Amino acid sequence: MNKHNRFTMAGSIAVSLTVLAMFILNEPAQAKKPFTAAEAEDQKNALLEVVAKGDALWHSGSLGTNGLACANCHPDGAAANTETWPKFQTNLGKVGTLRDMINWCIQVPLEGKAIALDSDEMIAMEAYAAYTSRGIAIAPGKDYQSGAVPVISGPGYPTGRD
Amino acid sequence: MEKISRRQFLGVSTKASAATLFAGTFAPTATSFFGLAGVAEAATNKVTPFTFAVLTDAHLYDIKNHKFDSILARGVEDINKMNPQPDFVLYGGDLGQLGKPAELEKGRKILSKLKVPIKGIIPGEHDWYLDMGVTWGKMFGKVPWSFDHKGVHFIGLNSILIKDFWSAKGLTPVERMDLVSELECHRCGLWGVREEQLDWLENDVKNLSSNTPVVILTHSPLWDFYPRWNFQTEDAPEIRHILGKFEKVIAIHGHVHQVIYNQIGNMTSIGMLSTSWPWPYPSVDVPYPDIKMNRVDPADIYDGLGSHTVGLDGSFGGVMKYNTWSDLLPENVRRGVKL
Repeated sequence: MNKHNRFTMAGSIAVSLTVLAMFILNEPAQAKKPFTAAEAEDQKNALLEVVAKGDALWHSGSLGTNGLACANCHPDGAAANTETWPKFQTNLGKVGTLRDMINWCIQVPLEGKAIALDSDEMIAMEAYAAYTSRGIAIAPGKDYQSGAVPVISGPGYPTGRD
Repeated sequence: MEKISRRQFLGVSTKASAATLFAGTFAPTATSFFGLAGVAEAATNKVTPFTFAVLTDAHLYDIKNHKFDSILARGVEDINKMNPQPDFVLYGGDLGQLGKPAELEKGRKILSKLKVPIKGIIPGEHDWYLDMGVTWGKMFGKVPWSFDHKGVHFIGLNSILIKDFWSAKGLTPVERMDLVSELECHRCGLWGVREEQLDWLENDVKNLSSNTPVVILTHSPLWDFYPRWNFQTEDAPEIRHILGKFEKVIAIHGHVHQVIYNQIGNMTSIGMLSTSWPWPYPSVDVPYPDIKMNRVDPADIYDGLGSHTVGLDGSFGGVMKYNTWSDLLPENVRRGVKL
């Protein structure tokens, strides 16, 4: 056994021990710790705050000029079909996203002006639509009309309008 | 099993051949609805066959030349073109959007173009919760009401009464109206007709024999379709109980902005299209999935909307026709729904 081999063997043993240690500790050496309950709660609240903002916009006539709101035709986000985007949408004439469709609705049925796709308002409305479709399997391109997640009462999150 | 046989009954209607008589024509008459050979159901009181038209849910805004003005006007025009004319028109509520006097006045003006009288009108929640029905009452009179026409007893109830959720919160009338105008308002609670109208109803039908044909008009359906959207009337079971003594009751309702049908006991229930916007079906099973409307194109302001004609034959057999302006209806519904 030459020097080189001995060295390699020592290295192999060291690697094996590390791998073994990782198994025993059940924790990859480089991974971050999971979020604490408090951190996860903060993140959830941050989302729900944006969902509530989207809810308010969804029910507001301020996006258009004829008094209509998204909620006139899409109560509880119904038939926004959040889970089906992106898809070819005939009104858009192309494959588009839910945000494109929200803008189409603002411009045509609501007779308003399109808003920036990356604006806080657009993100909020997307968040609202997604939240009212929570749990529904993603099905890009699927051509059907879905209802909102059925609920008995309450939107399932604080709206800030209570 | 019962449901299947009902569906077959509706699908293979004995009136289907009569229906083809007026396919493609807009204005079916009582005679063309049923032909001359209506099968008499011996027990039911005789009806002199006639038709009436129904409009509902215009949701007019206090904005000049709003698109919904023209949709209601088109519904009125269609009814005016019917030849012969229906005997009268009923209106199913939500003439205005936010209960404003200007909205209701605009609606009254458009409806005044009808050539035949409006024999019955009921309020929807959008007409009511700004001033608790004061303006509506001044303009359209009392509710509940009833009248008799050619052997049929017609009843109209106010089904949108909510228990007071606003006083304790100190809401202004505008805030109250804004909340109620949201379909999914989760703080507003369930609608109903309440005690006083139940007493009125009991008294109204007290002296009618059980073979009297009865048609009842309410804004919301008289069965639990989707309570979260108030596609329900809280005291519908009591209403159905009071009307349970009749052989057959036809219940017509607005609010749902869609084609929906149900049978509960002696009551046949049918929902109407609006002249404002269509609503998607809620995520629940509907009892008669064959009686639905198709997907709507949001680019077409007239899609998903329309007026209604109801024909009643000599033995109180009925057919409702949805008069639409687009390719909205599957063939079986287009032919007319048997009531």
